[in-house]
Amino acid sequence: MFLALKEIKHEKLRYSLVIGMIVLIAYLILMLLGLMQGLGNENTAAVESWGTKQVMLDKNANVSMNQSLIKKDEAQDLTKHEALVGQVPIVMKGINHGQKQSMQYFGLDDSQYLLKNKIQLVSGRKPRNDHELILDESLKEKGYRLGQQVKLNSLTTKFKVVGFAKNAKFNIAPLAIGSLNTWQALKGTGPQFVASGIWADQKVSNSRQNKLAHYDVKKFIKKLPGYTAQNTTFEFMIGFLLMISLIVIAIFLYILTMQKEAQYAVLRAQGIPAGFIVWSIIAQSVILMVSGVIVATLLAVGTSLAMPSTVPFMIIWPQTMLLDLALLIVGIVGSLLPVRMILKIDPVDALQ
Amino acid sequence: MEEATIKLVNVNKHYGHGRGLVYALQDINFSAHPGELTLILGPSGSGKSTFLTIAGGLRQPSSGRVMLAGKDISKLNNKERDQLRLNRVGFVLQSYNLLPYLNVDEQFELVRKVKPNGNLTDDELTELLEELGIADLRSQYPDQLSGGQNQRVAIARALYTNPDIVLADEPTAALDSARVVVVGKELQRLADQRHKTVIVVTHDLRLKEHADRIYHINDGKLSREK
Ligand SMILES: Nc1ncnc2c1ncn2[C@@H]1O[C@H](COP(=O)(O)OP(=O)(O)OP(=O)(O)O)[C@@H](O)[C@H]1O
Ligand SMILES: [Mg+2]
Repeated sequence: MFLALKEIKHEKLRYSLVIGMIVLIAYLILMLLGLMQGLGNENTAAVESWGTKQVMLDKNANVSMNQSLIKKDEAQDLTKHEALVGQVPIVMKGINHGQKQSMQYFGLDDSQYLLKNKIQLVSGRKPRNDHELILDESLKEKGYRLGQQVKLNSLTTKFKVVGFAKNAKFNIAPLAIGSLNTWQALKGTGPQFVASGIWADQKVSNSRQNKLAHYDVKKFIKKLPGYTAQNTTFEFMIGFLLMISLIVIAIFLYILTMQKEAQYAVLRAQGIPAGFIVWSIIAQSVILMVSGVIVATLLAVGTSLAMPSTVPFMIIWPQTMLLDLALLIVGIVGSLLPVRMILKIDPVDALQ
Repeated sequence: MEEATIKLVNVNKHYGHGRGLVYALQDINFSAHPGELTLILGPSGSGKSTFLTIAGGLRQPSSGRVMLAGKDISKLNNKERDQLRLNRVGFVLQSYNLLPYLNVDEQFELVRKVKPNGNLTDDELTELLEELGIADLRSQYPDQLSGGQNQRVAIARALYTNPDIVLADEPTAALDSARVVVVGKELQRLADQRHKTVIVVTHDLRLKEHADRIYHINDGKLSREK
């Protein structure tokens, strides 16, 4: 620790550059993680923030809401922990202002738990009839306002925006929430189908067990179109970047140590134990990594605050701390190469 | 005469093998005593550094026996040899004696980190630095010191652990004549006044006037001049 700190203090420029490099690498990786989490959140915000535990779909729908249709007799006697959800992708257009917008429509029943208890309104109120809608709050930034008229797909009916809700996102699209009747019209199904699926906020087991497929919410999320592919892509990128940073950091520390080999040989000749030098190199690496990672994390937080809310970027602390820890471990592992070099130094080399 | 603190008996050292075999030291019998400055003179490649690394316990001879501070170094493991060097031997080398990122005081602090006890007291250190004429340089970094000041700090660093033995390899290689005299006098005083065993290997004839004993080394063979 003594040598590590003294050297960093004396060689400010050199070590600021090293820390700067670590900051840039860590910042890049944290930004990727933030994007991964932001996109993940846009996939699952509604499912998770509404406390969903289980999803029931048509057996032949292959875990896809889009493909699933539920018949009237399959949705008998819903408990108060179950709610019908009629889902359909739509295009919304503001009549006086507001851009054209691709989104997901959720038809909900106002007597069931989702619309009654789970929707998190940030302004306005809930719909009272088939011609009223709640929108995700991100649409405010696209020019949509309370009270304005919108059209959905090619339906001739005009709808009125009566509320904005947060976390109303599903499968990377903002939600428009309205009635199940409107869902039927948008989906173009006959009256024999009442919804796309049934969501439940606790595990339910009843007679529907035989007619419908029951999925745990984790499995349901995994099967959201694109969700797993997108996460795997990010995980690979982050993994590779961690590996590349390991190599870069190891090379940097190796070069720094190599330049000091002659000094270390003298210390060894003077009888200073190799272990003392090894610890100071590891300590130095930890100091550099910790300061670099802290700065990078602060930068990432700053970036997330500065970014418009339409950019899918989100910092989730447990995962972020885990990545910070991984970077710290990368730094320690990276210092093992120079440590090997120290252990191999022959004190004889101090004499010419 | 006091008992020898360094003793080499029939020491041979060769490097390599076959056609590349080099006899760096041949049949060396040598002893050094407290209170004496021993100078070993020789041209480049004659075996000076090899001699010093073996005498200082950094390297094992190919054959023969080396006694250092009363211990047979072939019987010590690496850790014990580290300890012996740390506690009993002070090295003064041609370069890199001092860490460039520590000021003079911190060079001694580093020693205390690994050897908390048995070093010079603060008063003794101040006295030593005054004797060496570097007492007012304590907060300077090595790159702020002249070559001669650097070597005097290196001597103080070597003496700080209060060793019985001081080994110097070409301590004057980078110095001009005036500085050579200063460093030579200091090494001489270590022997005379502090009663250390001092061995200096060098090709610098200017150090001869400070020596109590002088040896010549040529092609690995040692011969005595004085
Ligand atoms: N590690 C080694 N491997 C092989 N040969 C070596 C090794 N070290 C020294 N030698 C050889 O042993 C002989 C003595 O070398 P040494 O370094 O002891 O000489 P020196 O007197 O210190 O020379 P200089 O004044 O140039 O420092 C030389 O011929 C050298 O080439
Ligand atoms: Mg030499």
